[in-house]
Amino acid sequence: MGPLTPSALEPVETADAGFLATRADALVNWGRKNSLWPMPLGLSCCGIELMAMIGPKFDIARFGAEAARFSPRQCDLLIVAGTLTWKMAQACRTIYDQMPDPKWVIAMGVCSSSGGMYDSYAVVQGVDSLLPVDVYVPGCPPRPDAVIDALLKLQKRIERENPLKRVISGPATELDDTGTGARVYQPNAAVRRSMLDRHPHAPRAPRPLPHPGGEEEPS
Amino acid sequence: MSQAPAQRETRERIAKALEGIDHQTSESRDGMTCVDVDRDGLHETLLRLRDFAGFSQITFVTAIDRHPAEPRFEVAHQLWACAYADRVRVRTRVNGDDPRLPSCVDLWPGAGFMERECFDMFGVGFDGHEGLKRLLMPEEYEHHPLRKEFPHQGIEPDKLYREWDAARRAEWEASS
Repeated sequence: MGPLTPSALEPVETADAGFLATRADALVNWGRKNSLWPMPLGLSCCGIELMAMIGPKFDIARFGAEAARFSPRQCDLLIVAGTLTWKMAQACRTIYDQMPDPKWVIAMGVCSSSGGMYDSYAVVQGVDSLLPVDVYVPGCPPRPDAVIDALLKLQKRIERENPLKRVISGPATELDDTGTGARVYQPNAAVRRSMLDRHPHAPRAPRPLPHPGGEEEPS
Repeated sequence: MSQAPAQRETRERIAKALEGIDHQTSESRDGMTCVDVDRDGLHETLLRLRDFAGFSQITFVTAIDRHPAEPRFEVAHQLWACAYADRVRVRTRVNGDDPRLPSCVDLWPGAGFMERECFDMFGVGFDGHEGLKRLLMPEEYEHHPLRKEFPHQGIEPDKLYREWDAARRAEWEASS
């Protein structure tokens, strides 16, 4: 960063300025993975660990993810931290739908991963019945180190994504994950829904209920 | 059975306040003074305990489901007398087919939330409570979770969410 002299505005020899050759999608992935903005959905004690993770001691600013916004429109990483009840599930799904594409989800703690010890009528048995989860973090609550590890694993996954495939090969519209040609419900038009870059953790089918009132057949 | 002086004093005060009301006084296993009244005398009992026996504060309203037995629900009001530093528990049995009893919101406005929770969890109605609606469960939910016949994992806990999600899906498909 030198002073802006008149000579800096003139054309320079390429070899003097230095240059960088890369693939376009690698560049996009590099930008995305180092600027994940988390949407903290702190629902119970995991939320406290999440605050510690964002704070100065654990400091996820080192990984470019410290900009926790409380508006889903500005976020691309939903961290479901804590016990999700069925009454809260509508709010959680609404938040996820409001986040712009591309977006990722971390299920923090055993409650959001599987319901945890709350095997009861009030609690969602794993947020993956509502949302596509990218990384699960075990622990009750997990230490901030564990969530940072999940963040790094997610960054490694983002590196391997192929963000430009849709741009080059045209809009991936009428294909769903099962290949039946049925249109997939996604309130955000750009959410991944092609065969090519489909999400590896598509929302699973609702869990069959154990009581006789349930309608689903166990598969 | 010998009673501690403090408890004897409490029971004398209660007996004096409740003269003329059909009630039974006993001591529960945890040592608390209990007053058993029926549904019709409950409101008058609470009123007299508040005004004549010094039980100025209501600390708890809840119910117990003694399922195969009838009357099925045992509703407990716990009161606290600040000036005397003692407590009393007022117990009322109500039937399972008509679980209603008078509300005490007009005596203690703060009892409203506790009665709402009791209604939410047990389905016990409180006459005279304006706006007796569910406190914890979704308002459209049809079952009462702390009743004995309610299964551990619930009855269709995701039903309201799935209906909401299906309605959004239909709206999305109609708009695109």
